[in-house]
This record gives sequence, C-alpha cells and structure tokens, in this order.
Amino acid sequence: MDVAAVGKTEKARWLILIYNLPREPSRHRVAVWRKLKSLGAIYLQDGAAALPEDAVTREQLEWLQLRVREAGGRATLWEALPNTVAENRELVEAFRAAREEGYGEVIERAERIRRKAALGADRASLLEEIAKLEREFRAERRRDYFRSPLRIEAAQALRAARRMLVGGGTSADSRAAEGG
Amino acid sequence: MLWATRRGCHVDRTACVWLIRRFIDDEATFSYFEDPAEAPDGVELFDVAGARLSHRGDDCSFETFLKEYSLEDPVLVEISEIVHDADLMDDKYGRPESDGLDAIIRGMQLVLPDDPTLTRHTDAIFDGLYAYLSREVL
Repeated sequence: MDVAAVGKTEKARWLILIYNLPREPSRHRVAVWRKLKSLGAIYLQDGAAALPEDAVTREQLEWLQLRVREAGGRATLWEALPNTVAENRELVEAFRAAREEGYGEVIERAERIRRKAALGADRASLLEEIAKLEREFRAERRRDYFRSPLRIEAAQALRAARRMLVGGGTSADSRAAEGG
Repeated sequence: MLWATRRGCHVDRTACVWLIRRFIDDEATFSYFEDPAEAPDGVELFDVAGARLSHRGDDCSFETFLKEYSLEDPVLVEISEIVHDADLMDDKYGRPESDGLDAIIRGMQLVLPDDPTLTRHTDAIFDGLYAYLSREVL
C-alpha cells in the first residue's frame, strides 16, 4: 500500500486480528493486549482488534499472530472493508477520538512545563521532562493513523515549551542553541 | 551461502543483511520473496515466521542472530538495542537513535527501487553506526 493512501478515510482497508489465548498464564494476554494498545488498535469486540492496513501495521500484526500461536492460542489475520461508508467513517472517528486523549494530555503537560520554565524553575529537570513528553508525543503520532485534529496543537505546545526552556522564549535563539 | 527473506525490508531485515555480510558470511547472496512458499529449497531463511533466525520471544531477528552465532561484540549489542526499538516500537531500551533510523530507512524504501538497492545503502548506514558506536563504546 502506498503511503499517500494512509490517512485517507474513504477507501481505508483494515486489518483485523482475531485471536484467543488460554486464560492462564495471564501474562500472554496482557502482553498481546499491551502491544495492540501501543499500536493504537481498537477492539471491535473481545479478541478482535482492528488497525488500518499499511506495511507497518501488517508486519506488526503478523508477528503478534505468531506470538499468540507460540503462547498456545489461536490467531487469524484478516483484511477487511466495512460494508458501508458510514460504518467506515464510524471506525475512523473512533480511531481519531482514541488519540485525542493522549494529545490533550501532552498539551496540558507541555503548558505546565512552559509556565514553570517562564517562572525560572530548575532547567535540567524540566529538560528531562520535556524530552520524555516529546517521546510520548512521537509514540502517539505514530499510532495516529487519521491525523486527529489535536496533533498540530500538541506539536505547537511542545515547541513553545522547548523554546521557553532552551531559548528563553525566542525562536531564533532556540534554533541556535539546538545546534542548527 | 544463499540467504532469503521477505520483500520490503525495513530496519530489522536490512540490519540482518548487513550483519550477515560483515560478520557471518562474506560470500553471502540474498533472495527476496513475496511469499515464504516461493523461497527456493536449501536457502537459509531469516525474519520469516517459524524460521530459526527470526523473532523469538521478545527478541527481533537481529537479536536472534547475535545469540545464534554467539556474537558478543558490545558494539553489535548496542546496535541490536537500536534495531529492537525501531522494529518492535516498544521502547524497551529507550534508544534515541531508533526514531531517526526508522525514519531514514522508511524514507529510503519509498525512493529506492528494490531490496538489493536498499540494502546497499543501508549497509553504509550500519557501517557508520558501527564506527560511531565503536568510538563511544570501546
């Protein structure tokens, strides 16, 4: 699938992993659930997780399928198209909504860092905080398959906070300080 | 020896190709297939579900290679952490290099015509990474 098609909502093709795992030991169930969550998958129902199809999600789900099987479970991976445009749109909206929460938190925390920096709080610990937050943002962005509207706002909040920390609030300084 | 893996190589497979060429088999040749069923007989498969040299437990294929061939070079271990984070995206080692490597190789996939061309380019990237980390680690 070509990248240009990723993020288009009308013709999105989906991958659905259908699996079940033995109840015990529970660590396999937890590991698979956690992996799907980190990929940003949405459970259509118990044991049926959906992701938009692209080279990355396909590869990740193939490995996950193998992992389920190795753990004594069963898993099949399907390509799917929702039957109606409306159903497709609903699914896309669910994916967007799922990212809003993460972006909202990034915005809030970035604002807090920016305010603390403006007040002259300990710079080293704030730099560490913002680096951690930037990592979380990148993880969020990686699983933001349909460009949730808050993405740009979150990126701007992070930039503003970093600018305050590194350049004392002026963008030209911050670029120079980052080494060009 | 003839080695084979799936088409459309990303970080883990390109890193494995480099590792094979530099550290395991200096006469290695590679074949890239669409479906595992197309792989010729008698080849060594890697990064293919069920193969000896593939994902194992939490490990990506590059990590499995290091274990299978008892490669204990500390620089390779560092590279394996970077490859792991880029491939499995679980931040297991928190390596900052992973994000950049992921972006660069993903972009190269888009502009280069096929896997043999891609891996010629990525070989240079991993050579550079190895040289850089050698200076830091050793």
